[in-house]
Amino acid sequence: MGAAVIGYFKTVFRATWAFVEGLWITLCYLFKPSVTVQYPTEKLVPYDAFRGMLLFDASTCIACSLCAKACPSACIALESQVHPETKKRVPKAEWYTLDLGKCNFCGLCQEACPTKPKSVWHSLDYEYAFSNRDEMVRCWKPGFPLAGRVWDPKGKAFRDLESYIPVREVQGRR
Amino acid sequence: MKAEGSGKNEPVPAKHAEAKPAAAAAPAPKPAPPEPVLNRRHGKLLTETRYWPTEIWRNPWSLPRYRAGALWLAGIVLGIAAIGAGVGELAAWGEKLLALLGRSGLPPVAVAWVWVLVKLTCVIGVIVANGLWAVWWERKISAHIQSRMGPMYAGGFHGWAQTIFDTIKLLLKEDVTPAAADQVMHLLAPIVAIAPCVMAFAPVLFGDELAAARIDVGVLYVFAFASISVIGVVMAGWASGNKYSLLGGLRAAAQIVSYELPRGFSVVPVIMFAGSLDLAVIGQAQAGYWLGFFPRWFVFYPVVGQLAFLFFLIASVAETNRTPFDIPEAESELVAGFHTEFSGMKWSLFFLMEYGYVLLASFLLAVFFLGGGAAPLPHPAFIPAWLSIPSWIWMTSKAMLMMFVFLWFRWTFPRLRVDQLMDFNWKFLLPWSFANIGLAGVLIYLHLQGWGLR
Repeated sequence: MGAAVIGYFKTVFRATWAFVEGLWITLCYLFKPSVTVQYPTEKLVPYDAFRGMLLFDASTCIACSLCAKACPSACIALESQVHPETKKRVPKAEWYTLDLGKCNFCGLCQEACPTKPKSVWHSLDYEYAFSNRDEMVRCWKPGFPLAGRVWDPKGKAFRDLESYIPVREVQGRR
Repeated sequence: MKAEGSGKNEPVPAKHAEAKPAAAAAPAPKPAPPEPVLNRRHGKLLTETRYWPTEIWRNPWSLPRYRAGALWLAGIVLGIAAIGAGVGELAAWGEKLLALLGRSGLPPVAVAWVWVLVKLTCVIGVIVANGLWAVWWERKISAHIQSRMGPMYAGGFHGWAQTIFDTIKLLLKEDVTPAAADQVMHLLAPIVAIAPCVMAFAPVLFGDELAAARIDVGVLYVFAFASISVIGVVMAGWASGNKYSLLGGLRAAAQIVSYELPRGFSVVPVIMFAGSLDLAVIGQAQAGYWLGFFPRWFVFYPVVGQLAFLFFLIASVAETNRTPFDIPEAESELVAGFHTEFSGMKWSLFFLMEYGYVLLASFLLAVFFLGGGAAPLPHPAFIPAWLSIPSWIWMTSKAMLMMFVFLWFRWTFPRLRVDQLMDFNWKFLLPWSFANIGLAGVLIYLHLQGWGLR
């Protein structure tokens, strides 16, 4: 009888204490800073190894097409320039395209690129959204911005990206 | 090509500039670097580094926004105290308004009616404003307990207008009545649920002497009216033509009727101590301080006070159908229980009722156990009397503290099973609230024998 009474009060005390512990934990969390990022007005900058949107710099590219060969999903295509007088190929890209619909962000093109700094590289930009499939194919010609432009099949011209908002200019090129 | 002397991780623009002369043959103009992106709201360059939670939590005071939040909180508390000191006792303003009405030349009956209407408007305003405020507060508290932020955009400052916009949305929503529902009952249920809630607020003290009606049997009146709402809930469950709703309504009936008992019995010690059922008398019975500084609140009466407080709190949480006692509207079992088939304003009336009862329970807790409008410490002599914080601020603060406890419970405890709920009530709360009445008698006897603190 006595043991039962003691056990009863022990159970009551244990249960109450468990509730108090739980309340204490939630109270502690209440006064901890929240970890939410207010995304559109506050953006995180990813770590340096982050593989974001691919950028291309036509001014450093030597049109060796190593990136196109390294690409496992065959999303890179390019053509080198032809010298206007000698009619010979020069180590400059005439055009360069990346089909981001195929790209799997493996970073092999960046590893294969022999130039220094890299001509094609992953930036830290993670804010890429496409409003149609044409936008997935990024095109570069000499003089285009690093993010490239998009071929507009209706207007038969290149147009700037609509949905491109770079997080930071570019990642440190390796 | 120039030798790249510096390390690999040098920032881009410098390297880029160095690389340029090597590519002198480039036929194209230099590609314009993209514009640096500025934070849209604050105009700062987005290079802030944010760490993972554990690192944020290591030293929260190093975060500017954490310090700003603490400052805001302190400012709000001080501001409320300052506003209270400036406004003074609301009851006095009410007396002035009544005197003004009396001088206006209206017949006394008309004055009485207008005065009742004014008080009714105030009480309904309190209930509705409480709905707006409590929903927002609940969302903030729940968010911060879960390390989130809750509403942040609507209205500008921490999403203060979120519930206002939600209410507008609810008003504009389609009012759907299911084909299987009993049309009249479906319409009546929210009305039957909300009306007793408003009526139960009549004797509730919002400060010393600040109540819509002074009723001798106030405690009885409040409990009597607060328990009528269960009829509306059962009606809602039955009239919806939905088995989940019916189950929810029946569970609500079982739960609320059961928890009425310990709720009522846990207040009996308070009534014994105060010697009255009048809420104002109960509040005044706790005025004064032991040893000149320790408040004579009923919650501080040894053992009896704490037990009664806990029992009343638990039973109140159960009465208001809130987690951990929310089996009538258990989302994971019954979709939303009795209000599954309600939409728009009918649905929000149920929530108005729920938050109204939370407010009612908070004010009752403040009056019964936390001294009503009495300050927790005696007014220091060196502060002038006109600077004192009025009783309605103290009362509301205590009620808000109790409401916080309700929210805190909700976001801490998991839901009870139906059988556990009944088990807890009938085998634990009820017998111990009986025992508590006996303990209160012993305490009063000791007091009468001269053993108690004066």
